Amino acid sequence: MFNRRMLIAAVAAAAVLSGGPVLAQYKSIVVSSTTSTQDSGLFGHILPLFKQKTGIDVKVIAQGTGQALDTGRRGDADVVFVHAKSAEEKFLAEGQGVKRYPVMYNDFVLIGPKSDPAGVKGMKDITKALQMIKDKQAPFISRGDRSGTHLAELALWNKNAGIDIEKDKGPWYKSIGQGMGAALNTASASNAYVLSDRGTWISFKNKGDLAIAVEGDKLLFNQYGVMLVNPEKHPNVKKDLGQQFIDWLVSPEGQKAIANYKINGEQLFYPNADDHSA
Amino acid sequence: MRPPALDLPIMFIDVRITAGAVTILDGVTLTISPGMPTVLIGPNGAGKTTLLRAAMGLVPPSSGLVTWGGRESSDPKHRAIMFQRPAMLRRSAGGNVRYALAAAGMPRSKRHERATALLSEVGLTGLDHRPARRLSGGEQQRLALARALARDPGILFLDEPTASLDPAATKAIEDIVRAVSARGVKVVMCTHDLGQAKRLAGNVVLMHRGRLIENTPAAQFFATPRTEEARKFVAGELLV
Repeated sequence: MFNRRMLIAAVAAAAVLSGGPVLAQYKSIVVSSTTSTQDSGLFGHILPLFKQKTGIDVKVIAQGTGQALDTGRRGDADVVFVHAKSAEEKFLAEGQGVKRYPVMYNDFVLIGPKSDPAGVKGMKDITKALQMIKDKQAPFISRGDRSGTHLAELALWNKNAGIDIEKDKGPWYKSIGQGMGAALNTASASNAYVLSDRGTWISFKNKGDLAIAVEGDKLLFNQYGVMLVNPEKHPNVKKDLGQQFIDWLVSPEGQKAIANYKINGEQLFYPNADDHSA
Repeated sequence: MRPPALDLPIMFIDVRITAGAVTILDGVTLTISPGMPTVLIGPNGAGKTTLLRAAMGLVPPSSGLVTWGGRESSDPKHRAIMFQRPAMLRRSAGGNVRYALAAAGMPRSKRHERATALLSEVGLTGLDHRPARRLSGGEQQRLALARALARDPGILFLDEPTASLDPAATKAIEDIVRAVSARGVKVVMCTHDLGQAKRLAGNVVLMHRGRLIENTPAAQFFATPRTEEARKFVAGELLV
């Protein structure tokens, strides 16, 4: 035991001597956020850039938006970074947060043939639209490539429409394992429905007989906001470091880092920190 | 279908790797994100292999930061690498794969079945008992690929997997790479074969003298290269 203690002391002393400044300056914050920011790889892209710039390590707890806000309410996080504006405003009204800053958004549209075999055109409810596509077995093209769009599509089937798509899909549901452009091309060639992010749809040249079928459902629109957890309520909140993270996210540098994160050349999140109504 | 690999994206931030007085990687900043294969191209000595090894976690940066899914260290159990000149163990083709399965921690009772499936995936069905060192160059390369796939990686690094193979053997490898990529494994490979880059790449990373010259979606890289170096390289001029 004595020997082991000696060893630990020696190792600790060595660590202090060699890595002293690093240990003394180790800075970290806890950010409570959603799975989409984590699973899409966005955090894996922007957090190392933030760390390189400031030396601050960001530890992420990724959960559903509601749980993420609850983590903030318990004071178990310094910053919350989520996408549910009304819930965020409630959080602020409770005095749990200091101020909400809009950061970025993404937005999806359901594209379909003008002939509209599932009869969903103009619907405002994406959940019902998907259920009708399944009921009518109308052709549907899935990206199947684990992109943010694909994950959003899976969440809409599985979580919102209550359809276990892996189990319930038939020949009408085709997973192509390719990018947005290829998925739109396939949909165009086979008169199928497809979920697309708006940016890619807008720039897609081969629209053919395709048009937007469903848009504007709040399930299709993700505005992300970031807030410092109120240090007056939770004195353990690392106010300065947390604010530094928020300031970086909404700075031109942070906004550029967000815009630069791409999968298969496709931008996933659109920075909009300057849109104060968002 | 698999969830996004936890090791992605891999970030290189201002990474320098030196060996003595020689700078092998010089301030490389790069994001390797999920999706279609990332293909590294560039002349010999450009730093492609070192970049691959650093992304695998085999070589620490001399300065700068390498992160996997935002973490600065990550157990490479979801990553696999195939070297340019893979060494065949002195045993049968099946034995080579079963060894890799054992190393990946698979219980003995399951290894045989899995090895057979892997050999079939790389088109070596029936060669289970053939001594690995008697296989042809193309078959050895495919066997090496089967070994790399043994640990069921989320990210697969391939260092010139078709160097010195004939077109048929090259196609066999490319077909496997395409299939592996389509089921969600992120492939990062280097090659000297521009045709191969065109056929497989989602995005192309051009390296030259340890620096990253260009990182562009493949279609754009070949149609409208952004840099003079890339234009020269695509045009087949010698980049020295």
